[in-house]
Amino acid sequence: MSLLSIRNLCYDDAPPWYVLGKKDIFYLGPVNFDVNEGETVSIIGTNNSGKSLLGKLITGAVPKGAGEVLINGIPLNKSNRANSVRMVFSHSSQSLNPGISVGRMLEEPLLLNTKLPPSERFDKIRDTLRLVGLMPDHYYFYKHMLSDGQQQRVALARALILDPKVVVADEPFAALDPSVRSQTVNLLLKLQAELGLAFIFISHNLGIVRHISDRTLVMHNGEVVENAPTQTLFADPQHEASKHLIHAHFAMLKV
Amino acid sequence: MILLDIRNLTLEIESNGVLVKALDKVSLSICEKEIRALVGESGSGKSLIVRAISGSLPPQWIITADRLTWRGQNLLKMSKSERQKIMRRDIAVIFQDPQAALDPSVKLGAQFRESIPNEFINSRWWWQQRAEQNRIAWAQLTRVGIKDVKKCLNSYVHELPDDVCQKFMIAMALVSQPTLLIADDPTRGMETSTKRQIMSLCKNLNRHSDLSILFVSHDLLAISSIAHTITVLYSGQTVEDGPFDSVRRKPFHPYSKALLDSAPSFRPELQPKSPLTALKGTIPTLQHLPIGCRLGPRCPRAQKECVNTPVPRTIHKRQYRCHFPLHIDADENLDGKYEGIDV
Repeated sequence: MSLLSIRNLCYDDAPPWYVLGKKDIFYLGPVNFDVNEGETVSIIGTNNSGKSLLGKLITGAVPKGAGEVLINGIPLNKSNRANSVRMVFSHSSQSLNPGISVGRMLEEPLLLNTKLPPSERFDKIRDTLRLVGLMPDHYYFYKHMLSDGQQQRVALARALILDPKVVVADEPFAALDPSVRSQTVNLLLKLQAELGLAFIFISHNLGIVRHISDRTLVMHNGEVVENAPTQTLFADPQHEASKHLIHAHFAMLKV
Repeated sequence: MILLDIRNLTLEIESNGVLVKALDKVSLSICEKEIRALVGESGSGKSLIVRAISGSLPPQWIITADRLTWRGQNLLKMSKSERQKIMRRDIAVIFQDPQAALDPSVKLGAQFRESIPNEFINSRWWWQQRAEQNRIAWAQLTRVGIKDVKKCLNSYVHELPDDVCQKFMIAMALVSQPTLLIADDPTRGMETSTKRQIMSLCKNLNRHSDLSILFVSHDLLAISSIAHTITVLYSGQTVEDGPFDSVRRKPFHPYSKALLDSAPSFRPELQPKSPLTALKGTIPTLQHLPIGCRLGPRCPRAQKECVNTPVPRTIHKRQYRCHFPLHIDADENLDGKYEGIDV
């Protein structure tokens, strides 16, 4: 059985009282796919194809319309989802609270989801900071004192602090500089090898997607149009939308 | 002919009573019909160079340069109005982050109409002029690939997605038919197919209307598809300069190599999920700049000499600033014999 299974996940943004014409509603799904332990799945697609939305639906940041998200066969609900599926939001620098220190930022998920006493919380935060390659002293830092790469690491630490099984990362590399990006990629690969995490990446950067992911999903107008192992997909895309994306990528590379 | 010539541009910023060199002797030149890429990480001073050229730096920052000229005219000595005239007609700038650069309180249509130079409008009456402006707006916006032009012109910035705003900025910059386009990170956050569209637009403009482009970015994939020459910037110093293909094949400076290695797209031989080569640490902050070569503390080849700032050396068409360059024999380097090297 796979670690994370998504069954007939649907969503539409129509308000409940919406009865007239159905022109401008965005429909997503039904989406079905599985993620195994230690596997990296990437979601690619054009803008407005519902990539980020799918990520948010999986983590529960946006309430889903229908369908199920199962972890080891157990459906996710409000009480258990935070411990198993965590999200790294896009624009990590904007998703961090500028008013509180890194330590308190990382403490919040622990306060809300665990019953650890303060001393253990403190230790846990220091361990997690070290895990993502920061120093324990960063506990007392504020957002503006950190560089982009460090902010990205804090965002990652916030996702990892509850020991999740699946991490959904929405454009984790978009705002990063090349050398810091390589460091982050290495960090993620290392964490995956050590902790057996499953990653779901939402990304535009096909070069990185090709490098780090085992499977790739292509989304188009709210539907998953192709789901294939990465190497197969890049070698031989089947659907029009995937062809469009992948050919554009290779065309830029060759010209 | 050289359009824009920058030599030894130094920008000093006062921080806690100490002058910090945010840009240290940066040299850059753009010829006619050239597409030059300016590559560097954030905090390396790319955007400062753009702002120094466009003259939008705060007045308390000290700019010194041996040369900062536009077609032979010194930009630093020029009066404000003369400079604005050049900026309006000859140089167009696409600033970073369109959401922040565009006016949030005015509809995009009005902003676009304002950016059309008066010389382009020949009609006499205001309603005719307005129709003409709208015609130009439609033509430009369609050209950059905005699908719903009407909606775009009638919206405020916050109502539109990032990539449409970005395209709008490009259209606005191109409307005055400039000679030089300075694009500060124009492909940030764009998906591949849109990126390609913008790249081919730039390429066509370069080919058919002789537009020179200074392409400021760290997106190596986009750069590789259009750039003729490349200038690599690290922490306010130019580290390498030369034709893109030869730099890509044989980077001299360790930083250029690290930068090129960071893009897995360029390395098809790389095993999936294998660790990428990366320099340790991060780019130093302005308050803690190392002396000498600023890459020093992070550089895998650093030695004692690196505490002295390396002087620029030139081989063929390429320039680099490094004591221990890659792909060049150290002894040859010291003797100044450059002939045998295949670049």
